[in-house]
Amino acid sequence: MTFEKKRSNSKQEIPTASMPDIIFMLLLFFMVATTLREVDVYVKFKLPEAVAIEKIENKRLISYIWVGQSGRIQLNDNIVQIEDIQDIMYKKRVELPNVIVSLRVDKGSDMGIINDIQQALRKADARRINYSAMLKL
Amino acid sequence: MVTMKKKKDRDAEIPSAGMSDIVFLLLLFFLVSTTIDVDTGIGMTLPEYIPIEEQVFVPLSKERLAALNINENGDVLLDGNVIAIPQVRETLIPRIESKIELPKNKKLVVSIKTARKTNYNLYIQTLDQIKAAYAEVRTAYSQNHFNRKLYELNDEQNKELRAKIPIIISIAEPERIK
Repeated sequence: MTFEKKRSNSKQEIPTASMPDIIFMLLLFFMVATTLREVDVYVKFKLPEAVAIEKIENKRLISYIWVGQSGRIQLNDNIVQIEDIQDIMYKKRVELPNVIVSLRVDKGSDMGIINDIQQALRKADARRINYSAMLKL
Repeated sequence: MVTMKKKKDRDAEIPSAGMSDIVFLLLLFFLVSTTIDVDTGIGMTLPEYIPIEEQVFVPLSKERLAALNINENGDVLLDGNVIAIPQVRETLIPRIESKIELPKNKKLVVSIKTARKTNYNLYIQTLDQIKAAYAEVRTAYSQNHFNRKLYELNDEQNKELRAKIPIIISIAEPERIK
């Protein structure tokens, strides 16, 4: 009498055929989540810290204004003069009606320059702003 | 008789084993180049620009107004009295709370005024205190009335909360430069 072990005939392999599909899915997620347009910042700045801060929901709506330690102003890609802000922001606002202006200002700056920028933004009617700040731990 | 050599059967498949490697490479590229860091900051809406000639003077009662003035020496004055920045929150909270049930045109208005030489960091710290005061009052209100956390409110409750405790921060018109 022979004993024969019961064994299933099915293959012992994990099917890997759909692995590329899964990875494609991951890839797509990262492609969608990436905002590739990185701006070179020409000014040196250190953000202030605050507690009651909020996230900006939509990154695509943001225009950045940097103000560096030396008081230089950069708007998106270029160093600009304070007088130019109004025109540039007005054009931007026409293109993108609900633009948010993120002010990334060095914490040692004077309020004079901020007031000037704010006046320019008000004249350009780009009134949603965000004072960029880090979370104070 | 000549025997014809039969052609070998060729496999007509594209090898797809390396595909996942290529996709991994792409994936890695996007993983590395992605910046998921979110922008955080203090959100504000600037007032509409109205030329000086067309500005109308709206009188505000002393009771309604919390006037913060940050001068160039770094002193913070609330309604004319010097105050330390960390105290701004505590001072404002009772004043906001006392006006929750009042009609819309009686709510507290916080006004910030700065000099041209005022340090920006001080301004942000003060603004932060005001925002924190409002956040605290709102959290307490939603806990007492809806028994929920602030971020768990539905749209209707949120609307009610915003109507009861609106955040009115006024940035004072900068003074003309002489």
